[in-house]
Amino acid sequence: MMITHHVSDETLLTCASGKLAAGPSVVVRAHCDMCSECRERLSDLEAVGGALLVCLSATTMSEDALARALARLDADKPDLPSKRGADVPSTGTAYPRSLARHRIGRFRWLAPGFRRSRVALNSGAEANVFLMRIGAGRMMPEHGHSEREYTLVLSGSFRDELGHYGAGDFIELDSSVEHQPKVDLDGECVCLAALEGEMRLNGFFGRLIQRILPL
Amino acid sequence: MNAALRCADHTVVRVSLGWMTRNKSRSTGSNDTSRDLLIAVGNGDREAYVQLFKFFAPRLKTFLIRRGLDSMQAEELVQDAMVLIWRRARSYDPSRAGAATWIFTIARNLHIDAFRRNSRANSHTLDQVEEIDQTPDAEMLMMAEERDVTVRRALDGLSREQLVIVQSSFFDDKAHSIIAHELGLPLGTVKSRMRLAFARLRKLLDEHR
Repeated sequence: MMITHHVSDETLLTCASGKLAAGPSVVVRAHCDMCSECRERLSDLEAVGGALLVCLSATTMSEDALARALARLDADKPDLPSKRGADVPSTGTAYPRSLARHRIGRFRWLAPGFRRSRVALNSGAEANVFLMRIGAGRMMPEHGHSEREYTLVLSGSFRDELGHYGAGDFIELDSSVEHQPKVDLDGECVCLAALEGEMRLNGFFGRLIQRILPL
Repeated sequence: MNAALRCADHTVVRVSLGWMTRNKSRSTGSNDTSRDLLIAVGNGDREAYVQLFKFFAPRLKTFLIRRGLDSMQAEELVQDAMVLIWRRARSYDPSRAGAATWIFTIARNLHIDAFRRNSRANSHTLDQVEEIDQTPDAEMLMMAEERDVTVRRALDGLSREQLVIVQSSFFDDKAHSIIAHELGLPLGTVKSRMRLAFARLRKLLDEHR
């Protein structure tokens, strides 16, 4: 797999520092499962966080803080292994490992050659995260975004006005960009996407779809 | 090994200890000592836990206050973090993350989770807080110790202003516009200095590899 589109420094930093919203974080982590380069960079930044934590000045804890903590240990039970999501609908695509902890819904028809499944985060956080399956040669309606859109190609490939993207590629677009992805002819494209804000479809057909379908 | 740590304000922090002191004085904050303490905690060593608490709890509190929590909220979350550290220390793998990094990610995830809880007002358990990925099949190129040395050198290579910027980006919950106002600089200048600081950090990290 030749990954050419990576996560920006800025987005990796917001992810490492815990300031990236829940939905986009899922896409960034899934990319890091597939991309050793970004995984290393994210680990670097988390290590920066650790080093900076050590350097922070100390704020005095209340007098009984340690006693309270120790009392809680006495009453504590060991940690349970975290629950993993079960039934993942098969697309013939191997999902990144970090995705397995979330609940992936059924794929639903959205438009010809375009099916979509909602990803419910295990934290319960509300987020617009989707898996999309788009047929070979299909074109998505031209659209923009009210805020940012984060996309990870899991399999297949597509092209838009800005470039060509294959498995593992990470695409981050802000509200200034409008694009019309077209899937390559050689096969279906499966993507993971997180939307902040809303998708805005352009053109007569797009506006019609938007009025009929809950995007 | 020098246990002193160079900090954001270029002062040197030394922490008193009693733990593991032989001839050399080492602080709990040093990578080796935190790691050994955390491993001991994983084996149920409460004395080690007390040492770890004394060093990290007040720093975690500072971190959470900078994230915008008040003193009470911060203290409650630190309590939760310290319980999680106790519970999960057994699964800590020193080859994958330095102790401070591991502790930082626990507090970070706890804060993310608490923030969501407030906005959704749903119940939760500590167990739901995401764990740092420690599964062996996520192959890492670098061992944790090596990475920590690299990171320390890279941070040392930043200018004072750049270090403050990096630290602020990590800990503060402030819009760039507020940082700009506080520094008395135009927003564009602050943004470009941030970009420069992170470009330099990345270059230094790559160089020290």
